[in-house]
Amino acid sequence: MQFAPTVLAPAEEALRAEVREFLAAELPAGHRPALGFAGRHDPEFSRTLAKRGWVGMAIPPEYGGHGRSAVDRFLVAEELLAAGAPIGAHFVADRQTAPALLHFGTEEQRQRFLPGIAAGEVYFSLGMSEPDSGSDLASVRTRATRVEGGWTVTGTKVWTSEAHRNHFFAVLCRTSPVEEGRKHAGLSQLLVDLAAPGVRISPIPYLDGSHHFNEVALEDVFVPDDMVLGELGSGWQQVTSELAYERSGPDRWLSTFPVLREWLRERGADVSGEEAVVLGRLAARFRAIRQLSLSVARALDAGAAPAVEAALVKEVGTRFEQDLVEALRDAAETELDQGSGSLFSALLAEAVLTSPSYTLRGGTTEILRSVAAKGLSA
Amino acid sequence: MSDDRAVLTEVATGLFRDLCTPEDVVAAEATGWSERLWTALTESGFPLVSVPEEAGGSGGDVADACALLTVAGRSAAPVPLAETGLLAGWALAAAGLQLPEGPLSVAVGAPGDAVELSGRRFSARLSRVPWGGRSDRVVAFAASGGQRFVVSAPPAAATVTPGRNLAAEPRDTLVWDDVELPDDAVAPAPPGVDAAALRLRGALARAALIAGALARVAELTVRYTGERQQFGRPVARFQAVQAHLVTIAEEAQLAGLAVQVAALNARPDPSFLDVAAAKTAAGEAATVAARASHQAHGAIGMTKEYELGQLSRRLWSWRDEFGSERHWSRELGRQLAAEGADALWPRISTGLVEA
Repeated sequence: MQFAPTVLAPAEEALRAEVREFLAAELPAGHRPALGFAGRHDPEFSRTLAKRGWVGMAIPPEYGGHGRSAVDRFLVAEELLAAGAPIGAHFVADRQTAPALLHFGTEEQRQRFLPGIAAGEVYFSLGMSEPDSGSDLASVRTRATRVEGGWTVTGTKVWTSEAHRNHFFAVLCRTSPVEEGRKHAGLSQLLVDLAAPGVRISPIPYLDGSHHFNEVALEDVFVPDDMVLGELGSGWQQVTSELAYERSGPDRWLSTFPVLREWLRERGADVSGEEAVVLGRLAARFRAIRQLSLSVARALDAGAAPAVEAALVKEVGTRFEQDLVEALRDAAETELDQGSGSLFSALLAEAVLTSPSYTLRGGTTEILRSVAAKGLSA
Repeated sequence: MSDDRAVLTEVATGLFRDLCTPEDVVAAEATGWSERLWTALTESGFPLVSVPEEAGGSGGDVADACALLTVAGRSAAPVPLAETGLLAGWALAAAGLQLPEGPLSVAVGAPGDAVELSGRRFSARLSRVPWGGRSDRVVAFAASGGQRFVVSAPPAAATVTPGRNLAAEPRDTLVWDDVELPDDAVAPAPPGVDAAALRLRGALARAALIAGALARVAELTVRYTGERQQFGRPVARFQAVQAHLVTIAEEAQLAGLAVQVAALNARPDPSFLDVAAAKTAAGEAATVAARASHQAHGAIGMTKEYELGQLSRRLWSWRDEFGSERHWSRELGRQLAAEGADALWPRISTGLVEA
């Protein structure tokens, strides 16, 4: 275990203060906060943020990014999430696609995509799940067939968040047939233009009534050779390796923080003893989980590979995001209504409807436990 | 960790490993005391770490003392390591009172405790005093004539009614009935040296012990479930058991880091926010991890000889001592509510502060 107490350097404290000041000016008092990284899709906000240098922080300057540390990224992300900023447009491209391009992409692909991601203008979805493949990703059936100059891809991806608004998605698919006993071989990642001919995007209504999920049907979609991400046949290693460390950021424990803050705002200083207990317990756990998450960021900057630690943070953090919702519901004694005139009540209703996804997206709790337990016993 | 603290931890780890084995802890159950361990600790100066050298202590800071307590917690050490230096030693040194040679203890602020001081005439009823009957002195706070005093009361002059926590550690009731205190037993309490500050230190000390015990519980459970075979394979291969291992690891790490941050930020005294959060986190972790580890161990964990029970019985006791999770979370919640909604995030996101 590599969790170590982490102190912020003066430059890091200064960055945090700068982000806080920006958010205080940018997000008007009483704004409806977004819950978590997928809470709201706002390209204008993403571009504004990018102009400040707070998108593409992990991307080196030669690709239009800022070459900042994992801790700097952590600090910016936690301020944005705590404030409920609408970061849904760029967040996945920034967190997941950009590092994948840096690790596995060709020079040409980096030049093509990274500057747009860093500018907060190019957005990616993830193309992993299928109707018959969830946690068992190696069973994907989407298939790419060799044709002159590239591949044609056929298959169906589901639960594809924001595919109707994003530009590309990284599709995990089979580029050679399953071999007996080697089900992880023969998978590749292809970068697919969501506006390409043969791509059909249809909404799958989300539990809270919003349009978030999509089904993306691919029918003989042509993908040129230069859009293969990484090695052919290495798709499995790519989706499970380095990216695993990206699991433990503030987006895994802060999604529901704005509900707590708005509860306190409406409740005021004069809380009952029982309410104080609820607030104190949640605050204590927030502090403790934040320390773990921050220490993973510091370890990443030191060149470590804290895969088990990252899995533990996500497992405990996402369950806590849900626990918070139930603790506040219990304390508030109210009937839930998304249209409530109370900002807290409306947020609570939204949180109840969307929080089941926290322990599913990016690796379910059950999968994370299995990953972490193997590391603990090793 | 500083180099000095790393060395201290290493030396202490060796000492506890040699002199505080699970067999030693079982053997000490009858009295709740290990003379051999205490003698070795005293020879190393460990009980008085964090008490200034000029006051007769061993020097070092609160973080050093908490690092030692974490090591002691791993071994379920049956000695008043926290009480002697971090608690009683701190108050005596701050008040300029003499540090006796032997073990020391403190008034923990139990419900119903009462203290009366008039000149050097002293009456008090103190309950749940850790190792109270075995201590050379018990430190309490008293008000008299509009002034506050630190009192270093000798248990020899008290009526002692033994009590115990779930791990058979002494938690005694001491009654002094209008006794004349010795010359060296009373001094004015300096600002910041009071029952509230003592409670913060006590809560931090218990949280540090809990963190140590949890780290050991995590190791024991991984080891046992890796060895124990059922249905033809180690039980750790079952997902339901793996879930327990993950829970224990998370709780142990959460508590451990919260304690370290609180201890490192104590320059020189622990802060309310850090301690309230750390004791709440440690208390919750104690409950959750003890339950998961017993479940993963099965019946062997219910036997007195097996090491787990020495640790879990302490976890179940320490979580309530110097304030339970409910107590500290209520205090923390009140404070945060008073500061208002917009101060909440800055408070939560304050971690380890630059020295």
